[in-house]
Amino acid sequence: MKSRVLAVLVAVMALSASAVPVFAHHSFAAEFDTAKPVNLTGVVTKVEWMNPHTYFYVDVKDPQSGKVTNWACEMGSPNGLTRQGWTRNTLKVGMVVSLEGTRAKDNTYRANARNVTVDGKKLGAASSEGVTP
Amino acid sequence: MRNRLGIRFLLLTLAAVFVLTATVITLVAQQGQANTPAAGQGSGGGRGRGAGAPNPLLSQPAPRLPDGTVNLGRVPGELGIWQLPYIQNMGSRQYVVGAPPAPARGDGAGRGRGAGGGGQIGGGEGGGPGGGQRGGAPSEPWVPFQPWAAAVYNYNSLNNSKYDPEGYCLPPGGPRLYATPYPMEIIQQPELKRIIMIFEGGTHVWREIHMDGRQHPKSETIKGETWLGHSVGHWEGDTLVVDIVGFNEGTWVDYYGHPHTTQLHVVEKFTRPNKGTLHYEAMFDDPGAYTKPWSVAWDIPWNATGELQEYICQENNAYLNRLTDDFGQPVISNR
Repeated sequence: MKSRVLAVLVAVMALSASAVPVFAHHSFAAEFDTAKPVNLTGVVTKVEWMNPHTYFYVDVKDPQSGKVTNWACEMGSPNGLTRQGWTRNTLKVGMVVSLEGTRAKDNTYRANARNVTVDGKKLGAASSEGVTP
Repeated sequence: MRNRLGIRFLLLTLAAVFVLTATVITLVAQQGQANTPAAGQGSGGGRGRGAGAPNPLLSQPAPRLPDGTVNLGRVPGELGIWQLPYIQNMGSRQYVVGAPPAPARGDGAGRGRGAGGGGQIGGGEGGGPGGGQRGGAPSEPWVPFQPWAAAVYNYNSLNNSKYDPEGYCLPPGGPRLYATPYPMEIIQQPELKRIIMIFEGGTHVWREIHMDGRQHPKSETIKGETWLGHSVGHWEGDTLVVDIVGFNEGTWVDYYGHPHTTQLHVVEKFTRPNKGTLHYEAMFDDPGAYTKPWSVAWDIPWNATGELQEYICQENNAYLNRLTDDFGQPVISNR
């Protein structure tokens, strides 16, 4: 019983630790709107492994209209992603990925990715975003 | 230039407004609770270990150099880095030395994770990176702001730190070096009478602390003021004491935007109470912005398997290209 409680505690701690923003650069709230959470799935069209933020671009198809929109998605810096286990092979053009994130305040097709799911594995994005609703 | 003048004007206007409203707001803001977990010291502490497992390094003594001095860095044959925490608000009661403890049932309003951006001061100390209201100066009665410094701080709270110099890839200076969440290494060179600290992030900067007994340069001989200031250090027992002057006004005290002036004088104390912990304390003595000195302190965990990596912030700072001022104009001209 005690060990089960401990296991749950450890799990909760691990979760909350991973929710802590690992790397910070600019003001998150100045650029993104926590009231606009997004869940996107699409095909990767470009990846930029650059500082201070890695960007990748995905073509997302609207299921109703069939219209395709290219989203720019911000993650953390390459050093932060490396520490979370990412390599240059983790994300490549042509892959189908999903992400949870927050849309830009200006309503352009940009988002801060909180996590990215690749090949069924959900990866932290080392981004400046903490916890969103 | 036009934008700068505009910002100055806005600052002055806001200063007047805030001085008038501060007293009313204080009552609301005092319900605030300490920082959200996201703003705390959680990052790094559990890195590389099973979270929750006791860290054996915490029961091992600090290593020492051959001459007996405490070793603030690596032991030969081992890796390791100091995993600096992400401290967004040094004015939070959990970091300010001598700040009163949080009221027992003080959460509620202060958590401040609302949809945010409402343009109000007074939500308490809360508000992580996700947004929400920030309390501004009224929520930190233990920080001895001068009125103008309180107004500038409130302005930075209201716009969610959009003008934070670190967002421009400018370096942190002073204690914020130890609150910007990238790894750091300390290299002691007693034979050269100096200590070097290397910071992966912020902006990949290094810092030299002179241990040769020299004095600070006379202020008029300092070549301008500098981002990191001029550091001289000495040991008091097992405590490294560092004195810094000569700061420019380009940096903020922290992400939340506590201001400082060129009169800032910082006294830092570094100790390594055990192998796994660097304890950091800093006193801000800035008669240009605060009515009396105030101090902050926190622990920095050792990541025994870590190494520094490259981080060149200036590579592709898209944020800056999109940043607009309070009048909707681009901060950086596109020509």
